[in-house]
Amino acid sequence: MSRVTIRSAINALLCASATLLPPAAADARSGASPPVPATHPPVSAAQAAARDKLEASELQAEGLLGDDAHASTAPPPRNADGHPDLSGFWKGSRDTRPVGNIGKDLPGFKLPLTRAGEIALKNNLTQVVDPESRCLIGGIPRHDASALPFAIVQNRDHVTWLYMYTYFRSVPFDVRTHPQDPDPQYFGDEIGWWEGDAFVVDAVGFKDHDMWIDENGNPASGAMHAIERWTRPDAGHLHVEVTIDDPKYYTHPFKYGRTWVAGKPGDRLREALCTENQLDLKHLGPGPGGIRADGTRGYDVPPLPATPPGPDAYGK
Amino acid sequence: MKTASLLAAGIALLGTLPVHAHHSFAAEFDGTKPVRLVGTITRIQWTNPHSYFYLDVRDAQGRIRNWACESGNPGALSRRGWKKGDIKLGDTLIVDGYLAKDGSRLVDARRVKLPDGRSVYGDTASDGGTDGAPR
Repeated sequence: MSRVTIRSAINALLCASATLLPPAAADARSGASPPVPATHPPVSAAQAAARDKLEASELQAEGLLGDDAHASTAPPPRNADGHPDLSGFWKGSRDTRPVGNIGKDLPGFKLPLTRAGEIALKNNLTQVVDPESRCLIGGIPRHDASALPFAIVQNRDHVTWLYMYTYFRSVPFDVRTHPQDPDPQYFGDEIGWWEGDAFVVDAVGFKDHDMWIDENGNPASGAMHAIERWTRPDAGHLHVEVTIDDPKYYTHPFKYGRTWVAGKPGDRLREALCTENQLDLKHLGPGPGGIRADGTRGYDVPPLPATPPGPDAYGK
Repeated sequence: MKTASLLAAGIALLGTLPVHAHHSFAAEFDGTKPVRLVGTITRIQWTNPHSYFYLDVRDAQGRIRNWACESGNPGALSRRGWKKGDIKLGDTLIVDGYLAKDGSRLVDARRVKLPDGRSVYGDTASDGGTDGAPR
Protein backbone atom coordinates (compact mmCIF):
# COMPACT_ATOMS: atom_id res chain seq x y z
CA MET A 1 0.00 0.00 0.00
CA SER A 2 1.48 3.36 -0.98
CA ARG A 3 1.95 6.09 1.61
CA VAL A 4 -0.65 8.23 -0.16
CA THR A 5 -3.12 5.35 0.10
CA ILE A 6 -2.23 4.86 3.75
CA ARG A 7 -2.82 8.54 4.36
CA SER A 8 -6.15 8.38 2.59
CA ALA A 9 -7.13 5.45 4.78
CA ILE A 10 -6.06 7.28 7.90
CA ASN A 11 -7.95 10.36 6.83
CA ALA A 12 -11.06 8.27 6.35
CA LEU A 13 -10.51 6.77 9.79
CA LEU A 14 -10.10 10.23 11.23
CA CYS A 15 -13.31 11.51 9.73
CA ALA A 16 -15.28 8.43 10.72
CA SER A 17 -13.97 8.20 14.24
CA ALA A 18 -13.85 11.84 15.24
CA THR A 19 -17.37 11.75 16.59
CA LEU A 20 -17.00 8.40 18.34
CA LEU A 21 -14.23 9.10 20.77
CA PRO A 22 -13.87 11.67 23.54
CA PRO A 23 -11.48 14.62 23.24
CA ALA A 24 -7.94 14.05 24.41
CA ALA A 25 -7.41 14.39 28.13
CA ALA A 26 -5.82 17.52 29.49
CA ASP A 27 -2.05 17.75 29.50
CA ALA A 28 -0.48 15.38 31.98
CA ARG A 29 3.13 15.90 32.94
CA SER A 30 5.52 13.84 34.91
CA GLY A 31 6.03 15.73 38.10
CA ALA A 32 4.04 18.58 39.59
CA SER A 33 4.43 21.00 36.76
CA PRO A 34 2.02 23.65 35.57
CA PRO A 35 0.50 22.62 32.24
CA VAL A 36 1.41 24.80 29.30
CA PRO A 37 -1.85 26.15 27.89
CA ALA A 38 -2.71 25.27 24.31
CA THR A 39 -3.71 28.15 22.07
CA HIS A 40 -5.95 26.20 19.74
CA PRO A 41 -8.84 23.72 19.98
CA PRO A 42 -7.90 20.34 21.48
CA VAL A 43 -7.03 17.50 19.15
CA SER A 44 -9.27 14.47 19.51
CA ALA A 45 -7.97 11.07 20.56
CA ALA A 46 -8.76 9.79 17.08
CA GLN A 47 -6.80 12.60 15.44
CA ALA A 48 -3.87 11.97 17.77
CA ALA A 49 -3.91 8.25 17.08
CA ALA A 50 -4.02 8.77 13.33
CA ARG A 51 -1.17 11.25 13.61
CA ASP A 52 0.84 8.74 15.62
CA LYS A 53 0.34 6.05 13.02
CA LEU A 54 1.52 8.33 10.28
CA GLU A 55 4.49 9.41 12.35
CA ALA A 56 5.33 5.73 12.79
CA SER A 57 5.31 5.20 9.06
CA GLU A 58 7.58 8.21 8.62
CA LEU A 59 9.95 6.99 11.32
CA GLN A 60 9.97 3.53 9.76
CA ALA A 61 10.72 5.12 6.39
CA GLU A 62 13.64 6.93 7.97
CA GLY A 63 14.95 3.70 9.46
CA LEU A 64 14.80 5.00 13.02
CA LEU A 65 12.44 2.42 14.53
CA GLY A 66 13.53 -1.12 15.27
CA ASP A 67 11.85 -4.16 13.76
CA ASP A 68 10.43 -5.75 16.90
CA ALA A 69 8.73 -8.60 15.07
CA HIS A 70 11.92 -9.94 13.52
CA ALA A 71 14.45 -9.33 16.29
CA SER A 72 16.68 -12.34 16.88
CA THR A 73 16.18 -14.38 20.03
CA ALA A 74 19.39 -16.38 19.51
CA PRO A 75 21.89 -16.36 22.38
CA PRO A 76 23.89 -13.12 22.63
CA PRO A 77 27.36 -13.04 21.10
CA ARG A 78 30.22 -13.16 23.60
CA ASN A 79 33.74 -11.87 23.53
CA ALA A 80 36.82 -13.97 24.22
CA ASP A 81 36.62 -12.96 27.87
CA GLY A 82 33.17 -14.54 28.10
CA HIS A 83 31.29 -11.28 28.62
CA PRO A 84 28.28 -10.57 26.40
CA ASP A 85 29.24 -8.35 23.47
CA LEU A 86 26.98 -5.29 23.58
CA SER A 87 28.29 -4.07 20.21
CA GLY A 88 25.75 -3.22 17.56
CA PHE A 89 23.45 -0.59 16.09
CA TRP A 90 20.47 -0.21 18.38
CA LYS A 91 17.04 1.19 17.54
CA GLY A 92 14.03 2.01 19.66
CA SER A 93 11.31 -0.53 20.25
CA ARG A 94 7.64 0.26 19.73
CA ASP A 95 7.10 -1.10 23.23
CA THR A 96 8.92 1.85 24.83
CA ARG A 97 6.09 4.24 25.66
CA PRO A 98 6.23 7.09 26.26
CA VAL A 99 9.63 7.70 24.74
CA GLY A 100 11.54 10.63 26.16
CA ASN A 101 9.82 10.59 29.55
CA ILE A 102 12.08 9.46 32.40
CA GLY A 103 8.96 8.90 34.53
CA LYS A 104 7.76 6.24 32.06
CA ASP A 105 7.72 3.48 34.67
CA LEU A 106 6.15 5.53 37.46
CA PRO A 107 2.39 5.73 38.12
CA GLY A 108 0.98 8.59 36.08
CA PHE A 109 4.55 9.31 34.87
CA LYS A 110 4.83 11.39 38.05
CA LEU A 111 8.36 12.07 39.22
CA PRO A 112 9.04 12.56 42.96
CA LEU A 113 10.12 16.19 42.70
CA THR A 114 11.36 18.10 45.71
CA ARG A 115 10.31 21.72 46.13
CA ALA A 116 13.60 22.72 44.53
CA GLY A 117 12.87 20.29 41.71
CA GLU A 118 9.46 21.86 41.09
CA ILE A 119 11.06 25.29 40.90
CA ALA A 120 13.76 24.02 38.55
CA LEU A 121 11.13 22.36 36.33
CA LYS A 122 9.09 25.53 36.14
CA ASN A 123 12.21 27.43 35.20
CA ASN A 124 12.97 24.91 32.45
CA LEU A 125 9.44 25.20 31.10
CA THR A 126 9.30 28.96 31.04
CA GLN A 127 12.86 30.29 30.82
CA VAL A 128 15.19 27.69 29.32
CA VAL A 129 15.63 26.70 25.68
CA ASP A 130 16.13 22.95 25.48
CA PRO A 131 19.88 22.29 25.93
CA GLU A 132 19.86 19.68 23.16
CA SER A 133 18.29 22.24 20.81
CA ARG A 134 21.33 24.39 21.61
CA CYS A 135 23.51 21.45 20.58
CA LEU A 136 24.63 20.63 24.08
CA ILE A 137 24.97 16.95 25.00
CA GLY A 138 21.81 15.50 26.51
CA GLY A 139 23.85 13.25 28.81
CA ILE A 140 22.44 10.44 30.85
CA PRO A 141 19.81 9.47 31.68
CA ARG A 142 18.29 11.62 28.90
CA HIS A 143 20.06 9.63 26.17
CA ASP A 144 18.74 6.42 27.72
CA ALA A 145 15.19 7.72 27.21
CA SER A 146 15.77 9.09 23.70
CA ALA A 147 14.15 7.74 20.55
CA LEU A 148 17.32 8.17 18.52
CA PRO A 149 19.30 5.07 17.55
CA PHE A 150 22.90 4.70 18.69
CA ALA A 151 25.82 2.33 18.28
CA ILE A 152 27.92 0.46 20.83
CA VAL A 153 31.48 -0.66 20.20
CA GLN A 154 32.91 -2.99 22.82
CA ASN A 155 36.50 -4.13 22.96
CA ARG A 156 38.47 -6.02 25.58
CA ASP A 157 38.48 -3.26 28.17
CA HIS A 158 35.97 -0.55 27.19
CA VAL A 159 32.36 -0.12 26.16
CA THR A 160 31.84 2.93 23.94
CA TRP A 161 28.48 4.45 23.03
CA LEU A 162 28.28 6.45 19.79
CA TYR A 163 25.32 8.79 19.46
CA MET A 164 23.86 10.93 16.70
CA TYR A 165 25.21 14.48 16.49
CA THR A 166 28.66 12.96 17.00
CA TYR A 167 28.46 12.55 20.77
CA PHE A 168 30.13 9.61 22.51
CA ARG A 169 30.99 8.18 25.90
CA SER A 170 33.54 5.52 26.66
CA VAL A 171 33.54 3.54 29.90
CA PRO A 172 36.46 1.33 30.96
CA PHE A 173 35.98 -2.05 32.64
CA ASP A 174 36.96 -2.60 36.24
CA VAL A 175 37.34 0.95 37.44
CA ARG A 176 35.71 0.97 40.86
CA THR A 177 36.25 4.44 42.29
CA HIS A 178 35.52 7.98 41.17
CA PRO A 179 38.03 10.79 41.57
CA GLN A 180 37.46 12.79 44.71
CA ASP A 181 36.30 15.93 42.91
CA PRO A 182 35.33 14.91 39.38
CA ASP A 183 35.08 17.47 36.61
CA PRO A 184 31.42 18.18 35.77
CA GLN A 185 30.31 16.38 32.59
CA TYR A 186 27.02 15.81 30.77
CA PHE A 187 27.58 12.04 30.98
CA GLY A 188 29.11 12.38 34.42
CA ASP A 189 32.31 10.74 35.59
CA GLU A 190 31.63 7.17 34.48
CA ILE A 191 33.19 4.01 35.84
CA GLY A 192 32.16 0.47 35.00
CA TRP A 193 32.43 -3.18 35.87
CA TRP A 194 30.77 -6.49 35.07
CA GLU A 195 28.31 -8.16 37.43
CA GLY A 196 27.71 -11.50 35.78
CA ASP A 197 26.33 -10.68 32.33
CA ALA A 198 25.44 -7.09 33.25
CA PHE A 199 27.76 -4.18 32.53
CA VAL A 200 27.29 -1.66 35.32
CA VAL A 201 28.00 2.02 34.70
CA ASP A 202 28.19 4.24 37.75
CA ALA A 203 28.18 7.99 37.14
CA VAL A 204 28.53 11.03 39.39
CA GLY A 205 29.88 14.51 38.75
CA PHE A 206 27.23 15.84 36.37
CA LYS A 207 26.79 19.37 35.12
CA ASP A 208 24.72 21.47 37.51
CA HIS A 209 23.24 23.56 34.71
CA ASP A 210 21.94 23.12 31.15
CA MET A 211 20.92 19.52 31.75
CA TRP A 212 17.43 18.14 31.38
CA ILE A 213 16.89 14.68 32.76
CA ASP A 214 14.56 13.87 29.84
CA GLU A 215 12.90 15.32 26.74
CA ASN A 216 10.12 16.82 28.85
CA GLY A 217 12.23 19.41 30.61
CA ASN A 218 12.49 17.67 33.98
CA PRO A 219 15.56 18.85 35.87
CA ALA A 220 18.87 17.17 36.70
CA SER A 221 21.43 18.53 39.14
CA GLY A 222 25.13 18.17 39.79
CA ALA A 223 24.22 16.03 42.82
CA MET A 224 22.82 13.26 40.61
CA HIS A 225 24.12 9.70 40.88
CA ALA A 226 23.06 7.38 38.06
CA ILE A 227 23.67 3.64 37.97
CA GLU A 228 22.96 1.83 34.70
CA ARG A 229 22.83 -1.94 34.26
CA TRP A 230 23.27 -2.88 30.61
CA THR A 231 22.37 -6.39 29.46
CA ARG A 232 21.96 -8.18 26.13
CA PRO A 233 19.43 -10.92 26.88
CA ASP A 234 19.66 -12.24 23.33
CA ALA A 235 21.25 -11.30 20.01
CA GLY A 236 18.38 -9.03 18.99
CA HIS A 237 17.80 -7.00 22.15
CA LEU A 238 19.67 -4.62 24.44
CA HIS A 239 18.28 -3.57 27.80
CA VAL A 240 19.12 -0.95 30.39
CA GLU A 241 17.84 -0.38 33.87
CA VAL A 242 18.97 2.89 35.36
CA THR A 243 18.59 4.00 38.96
CA ILE A 244 18.54 7.76 39.41
CA ASP A 245 19.34 9.35 42.75
CA ASP A 246 19.30 13.14 42.71
CA PRO A 247 18.51 14.33 46.24
CA LYS A 248 18.51 17.98 45.20
CA TYR A 249 15.57 17.63 42.83
CA TYR A 250 13.93 14.27 43.71
CA THR A 251 12.72 13.06 47.10
CA HIS A 252 13.91 9.48 46.58
CA PRO A 253 15.69 7.36 43.97
CA PHE A 254 13.63 5.97 41.09
CA LYS A 255 14.18 3.59 38.20
CA TYR A 256 13.78 3.67 34.43
CA GLY A 257 14.08 0.67 32.14
CA ARG A 258 13.78 0.05 28.42
CA THR A 259 14.81 -2.24 25.58
CA TRP A 260 16.27 -1.56 22.12
CA VAL A 261 16.18 -3.76 19.03
CA ALA A 262 19.21 -4.65 16.88
CA GLY A 263 19.38 -2.77 13.59
CA LYS A 264 19.58 -4.39 10.20
CA PRO A 265 22.91 -5.38 8.62
CA GLY A 266 24.38 -2.26 7.07
CA ASP A 267 22.73 0.14 9.51
CA ARG A 268 25.25 2.64 10.81
CA LEU A 269 25.55 6.14 12.15
CA ARG A 270 25.94 8.88 9.58
CA GLU A 271 27.53 12.29 9.87
CA ALA A 272 25.18 14.69 11.64
CA LEU A 273 26.89 17.69 13.17
CA CYS A 274 24.45 19.58 15.36
CA THR A 275 26.34 22.86 15.15
CA GLU A 276 26.58 22.96 11.36
CA ASN A 277 23.62 25.27 10.90
CA GLN A 278 21.88 26.66 13.97
CA LEU A 279 19.59 29.04 12.14
CA ASP A 280 16.70 27.76 14.24
CA LEU A 281 18.33 28.72 17.51
CA LYS A 282 17.42 32.40 17.46
CA HIS A 283 13.78 31.47 16.84
CA LEU A 284 13.39 28.95 19.67
CA GLY A 285 11.31 29.64 22.74
CA PRO A 286 11.73 28.03 26.17
CA GLY A 287 10.48 24.66 27.30
CA PRO A 288 9.68 21.41 25.54
CA GLY A 289 6.15 22.39 24.46
CA GLY A 290 3.08 21.01 26.12
CA ILE A 291 3.15 17.42 27.30
CA ARG A 292 0.48 15.23 25.74
CA ALA A 293 -1.78 13.00 27.79
CA ASP A 294 0.34 10.06 26.58
CA GLY A 295 3.41 11.51 28.32
CA THR A 296 5.29 12.68 25.21
CA ARG A 297 6.23 16.24 24.48
CA GLY A 298 4.78 18.51 21.84
CA TYR A 299 1.56 20.35 21.27
CA ASP A 300 -1.35 18.51 19.75
CA VAL A 301 -1.45 20.57 16.59
CA PRO A 302 -4.62 20.48 14.49
CA PRO A 303 -4.23 18.80 11.10
CA LEU A 304 -2.66 20.86 8.35
CA PRO A 305 -5.47 22.08 6.03
CA ALA A 306 -5.46 20.80 2.47
CA THR A 307 -5.09 24.38 1.22
CA PRO A 308 -3.71 26.71 3.89
CA PRO A 309 -4.03 30.47 3.38
CA GLY A 310 -1.17 32.47 1.91
CA PRO A 311 1.00 34.75 4.04
CA ASP A 312 -1.21 37.74 3.22
CA ALA A 313 -3.80 36.24 5.57
CA TYR A 314 -1.43 37.06 8.41
CA GLY A 315 -0.35 40.43 7.09
CA LYS A 316 3.00 39.03 6.05
CA MET B 1 -21.82 -0.17 16.79
CA LYS B 2 -19.56 -2.81 15.29
CA THR B 3 -17.87 -0.12 13.24
CA ALA B 4 -17.35 1.99 16.35
CA SER B 5 -15.82 -0.94 18.20
CA LEU B 6 -13.45 -1.77 15.37
CA LEU B 7 -12.34 1.84 15.08
CA ALA B 8 -11.79 2.14 18.82
CA ALA B 9 -9.85 -1.12 18.92
CA GLY B 10 -7.74 -0.08 15.95
CA ILE B 11 -6.95 3.28 17.47
CA ALA B 12 -6.07 1.73 20.81
CA LEU B 13 -3.51 -0.46 19.06
CA LEU B 14 -1.76 2.44 17.42
CA GLY B 15 -0.06 3.62 20.59
CA THR B 16 2.35 6.50 20.92
CA LEU B 17 5.45 7.26 18.97
CA PRO B 18 8.99 8.24 19.74
CA VAL B 19 9.96 11.85 19.97
CA HIS B 20 13.29 12.39 18.28
CA ALA B 21 13.30 15.92 17.02
CA HIS B 22 16.17 18.30 17.57
CA HIS B 23 13.60 20.68 19.02
CA SER B 24 9.89 20.41 19.60
CA PHE B 25 7.53 21.94 17.07
CA ALA B 26 6.03 24.16 19.73
CA ALA B 27 9.34 25.77 20.63
CA GLU B 28 9.51 27.46 17.24
CA PHE B 29 6.23 27.34 15.30
CA ASP B 30 2.63 28.41 15.80
CA GLY B 31 0.15 25.57 15.30
CA THR B 32 -2.68 28.07 14.84
CA LYS B 33 -1.09 29.66 11.77
CA PRO B 34 -0.99 27.25 8.84
CA VAL B 35 0.31 28.89 5.68
CA ARG B 36 0.96 28.09 2.03
CA LEU B 37 3.94 29.55 0.22
CA VAL B 38 4.28 29.40 -3.55
CA GLY B 39 7.59 30.66 -4.78
CA THR B 40 10.88 30.12 -6.55
CA ILE B 41 13.95 28.74 -4.82
CA THR B 42 16.70 31.27 -4.20
CA ARG B 43 18.96 29.29 -1.85
CA ILE B 44 19.33 25.71 -0.60
CA GLN B 45 21.13 24.51 2.54
CA TRP B 46 21.41 20.72 3.00
CA THR B 47 22.62 20.99 6.59
CA ASN B 48 22.28 19.49 10.06
CA PRO B 49 20.35 19.54 12.26
CA HIS B 50 17.88 21.05 9.77
CA SER B 51 17.88 21.70 6.06
CA TYR B 52 16.67 25.06 4.80
CA PHE B 53 15.56 26.38 1.49
CA TYR B 54 14.52 29.92 0.65
CA LEU B 55 11.68 31.04 -1.59
CA ASP B 56 10.89 34.32 -3.30
CA VAL B 57 7.16 34.72 -2.79
CA ARG B 58 5.02 37.45 -4.38
CA ASP B 59 2.50 39.00 -1.98
CA ALA B 60 -0.93 40.47 -2.78
CA GLN B 61 0.63 43.85 -3.53
CA GLY B 62 3.04 42.33 -5.98
CA ARG B 63 6.06 42.71 -3.74
CA ILE B 64 8.62 39.90 -3.62
CA ARG B 65 9.39 38.61 -0.11
CA ASN B 66 12.05 36.04 0.68
CA TRP B 67 11.00 33.26 3.07
CA ALA B 68 13.07 30.62 4.89
CA CYS B 69 11.61 27.11 5.02
CA GLU B 70 12.86 24.75 7.74
CA SER B 71 12.99 21.03 6.96
CA GLY B 72 14.34 17.81 8.39
CA ASN B 73 18.02 16.93 8.23
CA PRO B 74 19.44 15.67 4.91
CA GLY B 75 19.60 12.06 6.10
CA ALA B 76 15.96 12.03 7.16
CA LEU B 77 14.79 13.65 3.92
CA SER B 78 16.92 11.33 1.83
CA ARG B 79 15.62 8.21 3.55
CA ARG B 80 12.09 9.43 2.86
CA GLY B 81 12.87 9.81 -0.83
CA TRP B 82 13.65 13.53 -1.11
CA LYS B 83 17.16 13.72 -2.56
CA LYS B 84 19.13 16.91 -2.98
CA GLY B 85 18.96 16.54 -6.75
CA ASP B 86 15.18 16.83 -6.62
CA ILE B 87 15.26 20.63 -6.36
CA LYS B 88 17.48 23.37 -7.79
CA LEU B 89 17.67 27.15 -7.77
CA GLY B 90 14.80 28.69 -9.73
CA ASP B 91 12.41 25.78 -9.27
CA THR B 92 8.90 26.57 -8.10
CA LEU B 93 7.73 24.89 -4.90
CA ILE B 94 4.46 24.79 -3.02
CA VAL B 95 5.17 24.62 0.70
CA ASP B 96 2.46 24.10 3.32
CA GLY B 97 3.48 24.58 6.93
CA TYR B 98 3.23 26.89 9.91
CA LEU B 99 4.52 30.36 10.65
CA ALA B 100 7.28 30.89 13.18
CA LYS B 101 6.04 32.18 16.53
CA ASP B 102 8.43 35.12 16.52
CA GLY B 103 6.85 36.65 13.42
CA SER B 104 9.85 36.24 11.15
CA ARG B 105 9.49 35.05 7.55
CA LEU B 106 10.21 31.47 8.49
CA VAL B 107 7.93 28.46 8.08
CA ASP B 108 7.98 24.85 9.12
CA ALA B 109 7.91 23.03 5.78
CA ARG B 110 5.58 20.18 6.70
CA ARG B 111 4.33 19.38 3.21
CA VAL B 112 6.30 20.18 0.07
CA LYS B 113 5.18 19.72 -3.50
CA LEU B 114 8.29 19.07 -5.54
CA PRO B 115 8.82 20.12 -9.18
CA ASP B 116 8.23 16.51 -10.29
CA GLY B 117 4.76 16.59 -8.75
CA ARG B 118 5.49 14.46 -5.71
CA SER B 119 4.26 15.70 -2.35
CA VAL B 120 6.72 14.88 0.42
CA TYR B 121 6.73 15.21 4.17
CA GLY B 122 9.31 17.92 4.66
CA ASP B 123 9.93 18.20 8.35
CA THR B 124 10.77 16.16 11.40
CA ALA B 125 8.49 13.26 12.20
CA SER B 126 7.22 13.21 15.74
CA ASP B 127 8.38 16.65 16.82
CA GLY B 128 4.94 17.28 18.25
CA GLY B 129 3.62 18.96 15.14
CA THR B 130 1.19 17.64 12.58
CA ASP B 131 2.06 14.91 10.11
CA GLY B 132 1.41 17.09 7.09
CA ALA B 133 -1.24 14.83 5.59
CA PRO B 134 -3.93 16.85 3.86
CA ARG B 135 -7.36 16.91 5.50
